[in-house]
Amino acid sequence: MLSSLLAVSLCFLALSVRAGSDYHERLLLRPLPQNALLASFNFRSNETSSSFERQNFRYFPRSLGQILQHANTKELHLRFSLGRWDAESWGARPWGGAREGGTGVELWAWVDAESETDAFARWLTLTNALSGLFCASLNFIDSTKTIRPVMSFEPEGNHPNMSSPNLHLLHGTLPHEVVCTENLTPFLKLLPCKGKAGISSLLDGHKLFDASWQTMSIDVRPVCNTDGSNCVIEMEQTVDMVLDLDRSKRPRDNPIPRPLPIEEIECDTSKSYNSQDSCFPLVKTAEPSWSLSEIFGRPIKGACPITGEEGEDGETVCLNVPAERNVDIKTNGGYAEVRRDEGLLRCYKLPSGEDFDITLPEQSLPAPLLLSKPPLTAARSINGHGQERGSVQAVLNNPSDHPVSLIYLESLPWFMKPYLHTLRASIPGAPASTNPIKETYYRPAVDRHRGTHLELLLEIPAHSSLILTYDFEKAILRYTEYPPDANRGFDVAPAVIRLLPPDGNLNTPLVFLRTTSLLLPLPTPDFSMPYNVIILTSTVMALGFGNIVNLLVRGFVGADEIDGWKPGGLKGALRARFEKLKARWFGKGKKDE
Amino acid sequence: MSLITSLLALRRDARLLKIPPYLSALCVLVGIGWLLVLPLQEYSRGTYVSENALLPGQVHTYFTGSEHNIFRAYRHEVAELVHQPLEGRNQRLAEILRSSGLKVATQNYEYSASGRTISGQNVYGILQGPRADATEAIVLIAAWRNMDGEINHSGVALVLTLARYFKRWSLWSKDIIFLIAGDSTAGPQAWVDAYHDSHSPASIEPLSIKSGALQGAVAIDYPAGPWGHRFDKLHIVYDGINGQLPNLDLFNTAVSIASGQMGIGCTLQRMWKHDDSYQARLQTMLRGMISQGLGHASGPHSSFIPYHVDAITLQTVGDGWHDEMSLGRTVESLFRSLNNLLEHLHQSFFFYLLMQANRFVSIGTYLPSAMLIAVNFTITSIALWVQSGRAPNPPSPVSTNTKPSEAPKMIAIDRDGMVALIPEQYLTIIERKLFLPLAFVGSAHFLGLLPLYIFNNTSESSLTLTFHATTFLTLLLPQLTASALSLSPYRPSAQETILIQCLSLLLLGMFLSALATLNFSLAFLVGILATPLTFVRPTSSRPIAGLQTLLLVAVNPLVVITLATSYWAGGDVSQLRTVLVAAAEGWHVWGLWTQVVVWLVWWPAWFAESVVVAGSLFGKVVEAKSVKA
Repeated sequence: MLSSLLAVSLCFLALSVRAGSDYHERLLLRPLPQNALLASFNFRSNETSSSFERQNFRYFPRSLGQILQHANTKELHLRFSLGRWDAESWGARPWGGAREGGTGVELWAWVDAESETDAFARWLTLTNALSGLFCASLNFIDSTKTIRPVMSFEPEGNHPNMSSPNLHLLHGTLPHEVVCTENLTPFLKLLPCKGKAGISSLLDGHKLFDASWQTMSIDVRPVCNTDGSNCVIEMEQTVDMVLDLDRSKRPRDNPIPRPLPIEEIECDTSKSYNSQDSCFPLVKTAEPSWSLSEIFGRPIKGACPITGEEGEDGETVCLNVPAERNVDIKTNGGYAEVRRDEGLLRCYKLPSGEDFDITLPEQSLPAPLLLSKPPLTAARSINGHGQERGSVQAVLNNPSDHPVSLIYLESLPWFMKPYLHTLRASIPGAPASTNPIKETYYRPAVDRHRGTHLELLLEIPAHSSLILTYDFEKAILRYTEYPPDANRGFDVAPAVIRLLPPDGNLNTPLVFLRTTSLLLPLPTPDFSMPYNVIILTSTVMALGFGNIVNLLVRGFVGADEIDGWKPGGLKGALRARFEKLKARWFGKGKKDE
Repeated sequence: MSLITSLLALRRDARLLKIPPYLSALCVLVGIGWLLVLPLQEYSRGTYVSENALLPGQVHTYFTGSEHNIFRAYRHEVAELVHQPLEGRNQRLAEILRSSGLKVATQNYEYSASGRTISGQNVYGILQGPRADATEAIVLIAAWRNMDGEINHSGVALVLTLARYFKRWSLWSKDIIFLIAGDSTAGPQAWVDAYHDSHSPASIEPLSIKSGALQGAVAIDYPAGPWGHRFDKLHIVYDGINGQLPNLDLFNTAVSIASGQMGIGCTLQRMWKHDDSYQARLQTMLRGMISQGLGHASGPHSSFIPYHVDAITLQTVGDGWHDEMSLGRTVESLFRSLNNLLEHLHQSFFFYLLMQANRFVSIGTYLPSAMLIAVNFTITSIALWVQSGRAPNPPSPVSTNTKPSEAPKMIAIDRDGMVALIPEQYLTIIERKLFLPLAFVGSAHFLGLLPLYIFNNTSESSLTLTFHATTFLTLLLPQLTASALSLSPYRPSAQETILIQCLSLLLLGMFLSALATLNFSLAFLVGILATPLTFVRPTSSRPIAGLQTLLLVAVNPLVVITLATSYWAGGDVSQLRTVLVAAAEGWHVWGLWTQVVVWLVWWPAWFAESVVVAGSLFGKVVEAKSVKA
């Protein structure tokens, strides 16, 4: 019962803005088990498509708008992610996984172009421009990392010419990209309040990148009325993170988790050996205390002045805690609290110009917050060992009561060559005749030009797991193709899984899931060897070259063949000196003439 | 031109064939001498950390204070679990790991080797590193029982405490897996096999949760009971299965942290008193070589090394003043170093011999020694091949025999305006009859499969008996074969006898030189023990043949195994059974191939040579006959 209410609250968050004002922001805070806290920031700004065309930007950032216009991009999705979502403890993903990407950077966009070649050229323009804007290595998304997914992605916006062949979907990933502060700063600059006020004032690189899981996303899409009029370009930015409360509450000047003094540890006194030198630590069952200023390092610096005032638009901070939980608000300004969903969701309207802080004391709750179950869990790993072959195994588990159809998308680098004939999908316990693979879309790799693109339509019965395996061969790279940290291995992009709605209903929100990325060890040469060879060859070359040059440019004559040469003696030396002087003076004289 | 001509002429010189035995002996002597100079300070090098990212001992360690109280409590918990059944025990361990916020799973395994079942359960927890993306992981292992069968009380407690302590840090850029293995050899093997999905699914459970590629593993062996025990030194065990070694950087990091940062002395290869003398270094090296040559699992870490996961075991030894917290801080610092790694350990050596904790020789320095030993067989083999092509009774050019015998046929050769008369025998190469030697040497090698199969599949109770029976049979078999051959229509001629020896030595030399690059120590040890095979020859003198037979009996692989076991066990013959059981377990569990080398390389060579020598015991009549004819 409660879980369904939670799902409602998420939809409420996701869909509330459609008819709202031009700028909107919301922060959802939800304590999770094991001292974790989900903080989900969402910012939306709209621009009518007519003013967007005329480059009349108000809330839409000009820098991004111009890039999109220059690259003829109609819809853009950009993701920066780090860490893993722990579905076992934390339940279903925020936004149904639709606002997160695989580890690293993920980008997909619908580009308007006449031909595929044009689309790809514009895609390169786009990635290069975004690379500069977000300080990320997006320019490394070249043809080997770009795929054109067929089934996995659908445009979120309303495109009037959706059916026309001119709209091209391109998708690229950088699994090895480390997301860091330099990506957050340009992200914040796109916001109208730029991290100075409103909920974005909480976003701080130290805390964001200390999270157990975090993802930043940017989505740009056109939204129109049903009849295709009144189009707006909507930009949505989200930051979702799961903070570890214990780690986040540590002060920044003392971040080291030194062992606590023994007096501060609660010991299990029922143990027979319990004494002043032995202490079995008790696990705290009470909900831990926390406050915004503790975990983000500062309170919210008042409302962002351009957010809407009325109704749900003004409710900027929402707290998803059981109704019995005590919540203290610390602010000098005026704020308003609204309770929704039978008290499970408390939303606050922020005061303007005044700090706003939420404090939750430590409290034992009769029942924890029920989290909605994840619809599907996925784990993928590389099996086998050695330099030549390996196999990939993906285990997709459907814990729900109904069968699930899904699309499984793999984008593999060209140097990982899958054998498609070894692709097996098996469901333990199911009759052997059932083939869970309903459709396959496969585009093989071309060495050094494009990677493998594999999309599968799979069906998993209720309460069962599907094990997908395939073998692959490792290519041997040219030695200049290795990155500087060649022995680390090569990252393989996460698989993207899209759950199809059970009844074919197109209006249900998209549900996505991504596996973790993989580390593929390739046969790596000993890089000092070429240098040894170069040094040795150079020595041999130098010896040979020196001798030949000597033979070529120097004339060898016998000592006695030289005129007037007398061996040794003072007389000879003097005479030589005299000859030299004479040659210098007379030689000069001759030249002057 | 004249030089080449005279060299070519020398090729025919009978004296040339006298050289190879001396050359072989020289190779053996130089090979042994080479090994003996390695422990000198001038020929070994001081260890150094190659991988800059490791930065050993550069971090402060904070594993102290109240963690000690928690450690003691966990140690009491572990002590309470000793008498509990397996399931209950692992449930409790899993509970403690889970309360620290780890993902916990268990794995059942069951192996059967030499008629007994080795079964158990591993419990492991994964700490998902806050900075990690599930691509890399490092492993901390404590086996429930150590290699000596003692319960690893403090080791397991330390792993539990460190799991709780590590969880609080936010700097881990790799996942950390805490593995409490059911035992020291089969448990880690089952786990690491399943981690790479190369296990047999019938008897070993797959792992339900996994992390990324393993980058390193450290095992703790600290069997001090619930009231603790202060230790003196850390014994670092580094041998892997089949003599594979972890990257030297891992070993160096551990030594550098333990001795440099924590002030704990390090020792290796059970050299409890190492006084940095030549003898001590030599002894350490030889112990290391024997351990490497046997290729057995020397600790929970051993199973990881074949998967290219560098691993060591830290074992506490002696009575001293270091406590569990010092060991905990060592492990903490070691894990901080491993966490720094950007790439898989690859910078330093994978092939080395250690003389003491901070001196080593690398493969480039020590390899020639085993290669020279292997070359000695090849040289003799080539000499025998040449000899086999010669006429059986080469005429002597200057004969003291005045009796006018049948004059050797001469051939006149006219070259460069000169004519020379050369005995025809010098110029004819007699046909080598290869069928019998090839068939014999081939079947001798195939025959080795029989004992290989028998010893890996005999039940434990009858293993010793089978071994003694096989020893007896093996010692008798060459004589039987030789007499059978001498009576059979396929009686080997003198040339065929030479060719048997030639081919068998050729194979031995080839196998050993290839093996030297994989497992130096095994190649060296087998090479040394097979050296007499180079020097035995078929002879017409019975006493010499008898002496040779005695020599060959002494270097029979089975006799060597029996003698070596009773030497190391101090005359305790029952230890033979332990060795045989361990070998069978190695075959079925660890994938050990030392017995393959023994039965398919060493034993066939010994057998072929023994038949050759035994042939001269029985074959005198044959030779006499051939002379008459």
